[in-house]
Amino acid sequence: MSTTSMVVEQSEAAQPELVARAEIDRSCRVPVLLFAGSAVFWLVAGSLMALVAAIKMHTPGFLTEWEFLTFGRVRPVHLNMTIFGWASMAGIATLLWLQARLARACLPFGNLLIAGGVVWNVALTAGLVEISIGHGTSVEWIEIPLFWALVFAAVFAVVMAASLTMFGRRKVAHVYVSQWYLFGAVLWFPFLYLTANLLIHGGFTAGTTAAATNWWFAHNVLGLWLTPIGLATIYYLIPKVIGAPIHSYHLSLLGFWSLALFYNWAGTHHLIGGPLPAWLVTVGIVGSVMMFVPVVTVGINHHMTMVGHFRRLKDSPTLRFVVFGGMSYTVVSVQGSLTSLRSINEVNHFTHYTIAHAHLGVYAFFSMVMFGALYYMLPRLTGREWGSARLIKLHFWAAALGIALYWGPLTIGGWVQGLQMNNPDLPFLQVVAGTIPYLWGRTAAGVLMTVGHCVFGLLLLQMLRGGGHAQNPARSQAATGGEVKA
Amino acid sequence: MSPVYWLVWGVVVAFALSAVSGLVWAIQHGQMERFAAGARSIFDAEEPVGTVTDGFPRREGRSGP
Amino acid sequence: MNRAVWLYLGVLITVIASFVGLVQIPDRQLRGLQPVKDDLGVERPLRPDGGVLAGRAEYIGLGCLYCHSQQVRPEGFGADLARGWGVRRTVARDYIWDVPPVMGTMRTGPDLANIGARQPSNAWHLLHLYRPRLTSPGSTMPEHPFLFAWQRVELQRPTDALSFPEGEPRPGWVVVPTQRARDLVAYLGSLDHSYAVPEVR
Repeated sequence: MSTTSMVVEQSEAAQPELVARAEIDRSCRVPVLLFAGSAVFWLVAGSLMALVAAIKMHTPGFLTEWEFLTFGRVRPVHLNMTIFGWASMAGIATLLWLQARLARACLPFGNLLIAGGVVWNVALTAGLVEISIGHGTSVEWIEIPLFWALVFAAVFAVVMAASLTMFGRRKVAHVYVSQWYLFGAVLWFPFLYLTANLLIHGGFTAGTTAAATNWWFAHNVLGLWLTPIGLATIYYLIPKVIGAPIHSYHLSLLGFWSLALFYNWAGTHHLIGGPLPAWLVTVGIVGSVMMFVPVVTVGINHHMTMVGHFRRLKDSPTLRFVVFGGMSYTVVSVQGSLTSLRSINEVNHFTHYTIAHAHLGVYAFFSMVMFGALYYMLPRLTGREWGSARLIKLHFWAAALGIALYWGPLTIGGWVQGLQMNNPDLPFLQVVAGTIPYLWGRTAAGVLMTVGHCVFGLLLLQMLRGGGHAQNPARSQAATGGEVKA
Repeated sequence: MSPVYWLVWGVVVAFALSAVSGLVWAIQHGQMERFAAGARSIFDAEEPVGTVTDGFPRREGRSGP
Repeated sequence: MNRAVWLYLGVLITVIASFVGLVQIPDRQLRGLQPVKDDLGVERPLRPDGGVLAGRAEYIGLGCLYCHSQQVRPEGFGADLARGWGVRRTVARDYIWDVPPVMGTMRTGPDLANIGARQPSNAWHLLHLYRPRLTSPGSTMPEHPFLFAWQRVELQRPTDALSFPEGEPRPGWVVVPTQRARDLVAYLGSLDHSYAVPEVR
C-alpha cells in the first residue's frame, strides 16, 4: 500500500529520471556492445583452445604436428583469450555501464572508447599470434610481449578517463559501494599491469625477484581487477533485481576496505617452498589468511540480502548467475586462504588442484557474475529481448554443472597427485598415470561449458540480428513503475 | 636507479595523491554517514524498492496483460 | 569520520607497501648476490651464452614451464630430494642469470632444475623430445616433430641422427635434429645446480 502511494507521489518527479535513464543506456550502447560482443567471441574461442589443451593432457598425441598447437602454446593462448579477451572485456563493458548507471550520467568519450575496443582486439590478436609463433614470454599471466602490453595500458587509460569523467558528472550525491569497488579496479589495476610489465620485460628484475613480481601481479589480476568488478556487479544487481537494498550496507563498505588492505599481499603464496626469502612468502600467507575478513562480510551480506527472495531465482536469469557467482566467491576465497597454509600447500602446489582453484575463481565466480550482468544489461542497451528462455536455462545449467564437474574431480585428482608426488617410493610416471582419469573428467566438463558458451553466443547473435520474438513481463512492468506479482 | 624505477615511483606517487584527494573529498561530502540512505541510492521513483527488474523472456502472446 | 580517514590512508599505504615489500625490498636484498666458485674454480651458476642461451629461448617459446618447474624444494617439504631431483634445495643465487624467470609452478612433468646432471645423455634428450614415450613409457609430454627433419641417407649416416630402439621407422631415411633441437638440448644439459652454495650446508 505505502509503496504504491509513494510511486504515485513521485510519478511527476520520475519523469526527468525516466528520460535520463533511457539516455544513459543509449550513450552506452555502441561502446559497451562492442566490448561485450568481443568478450563473448573470445569466450567461445578461448573455450575451444581450452578443449584442445585439455585433450592434449590425457592424449598427448593429439595435434602434435603443428608447432603453434603444441601444449606449451595452446595453454597460454587459452589463458590470454579468457583473461584479456573474455574476462577483461566483459569486465570493462560492465564497468562502463554500471558506472554510468551509478552516476546517472551519460557515458562520455563514446568514439574514443569504440576505438579503444577495436585497438584492444587488435592488440590481443597480435599478442596471441606472437605467443603462437613462439614469441610469448612464458611469464605466467604476462605472456604477451611488452609492446602490446603498452597498447593495453593505453586503452586502460581511456577507460580510466571515462570512469573519472562520469564520476565528476554524477547526479547522485552518495557514492554507492559498487562505485568504490569499481574505482579499486579501474585506478589500481592499470598501475599494477604497467609496473609488472615494465619491471619484468624491461629487464629490471631477474631470477627470484622477477618471480616475486610476477606473482604479486598475477594474483592481483584476480584480486584487484576481476574481484572488485565482480563484487561491484553483485552489490548492484542483487538489490536491483529483487528490489530490496543490501542487508547491511556498512558491512559492505568494511568488506571493501579490508579487501583493499589484504588482497594485494597474497600473491607470493604461489611460491611457498621456493627459493625466496622466508619472510616474503610468510607475508603472502598472512595476507591470504587475513582475506577471511572481507570474504565473510561479503558472504553474510549477500546471503542476508537474498533471504526471503530465494524464489526469485526461479524467474530471473540474472539472479541465477549472479547468486551462483556470489556463492562461488565465498567458496573460492575460503579455499584460497586454506591453500596458502604451508601444510596444505606442500601437497597441492605444482598440481592440477591449483588449476581447479583458478577456474573456481575466474569461472564459477567472475564469469558467472558477468553472464548475469550481460543478461541484464544487453536488453536494456539494444531495446530487444533475449530470444529464448529455454536456451538461457540451457546456458545456465551447462555452465553450472560444467564448472562443478570441472572443479570437483580436478581438485580431488590434484590432491591425490600431490600426495603421490610427495611419496618418493612411487615412480613419477605412475603419478602421471594416476591423473589421467581425472583429466578425462576435465575434458568432459570442458565440453559442457563450451556448449553453454556457444548457446550464449547464439542468443547474443540472435539479439543483435533483430531479436527473438519475445517480451519480458518483469521489464515492461518495471518501466511503468509497477510491481510484478510473485 | 634506472629511469624505469623513477617512472614506477612517479606512478606510485600520482596514485597516492589521487587517492588522498579522493579521500578528502569523500569526508568533506559526508560519504561515510547515513548508511541506510546510501544503500537505497540505487533505487529511484522509476524503479523503487519493491520493484523486480528481471525475469525470463516469454513467448509473445503467452504472457499476461 | 576520522576513523574513515585512517582507514583510507591505511589502504593507500598498504598498496604502496605491498609493492615495496613484495617487489622493491626483495630486489634490494637479492640484487647483490654474486656467483660462487666451485671446486674447479668455475663460476656458478654458469652464465648462459651461445647455444645454451638460444636453447633457453626455445624453452620459453615452446612453453615448457607450463608443465615443468625448475626449483628444488627444501628438506622436509615435499619429496624433491628423495626423488633425486637435486642434491640440495635451490636458492636465490641459483637464478641470478634468469631473465625472465622460468621457475614454474606446475609439475605435470618432473622438475628440471638438475636435469643436466640427472640425464647427461644428449641422445636420450633428442629421442625424448622427438617421441617422449620411446624413452619414458606412459609420459604425457607432447611430441616435438617440428624440431626435427627427415633426411635421406646418402653415403653415410649423419652422426646425430636419432637411433630408434625398435628399428628404423622409414628405411633409407633418418631423423636429424634441427639447430633448435640441439640448442634446447644444450640448455637442458646446462641445468645443473649441484654445486655447493654457502646458503645450504
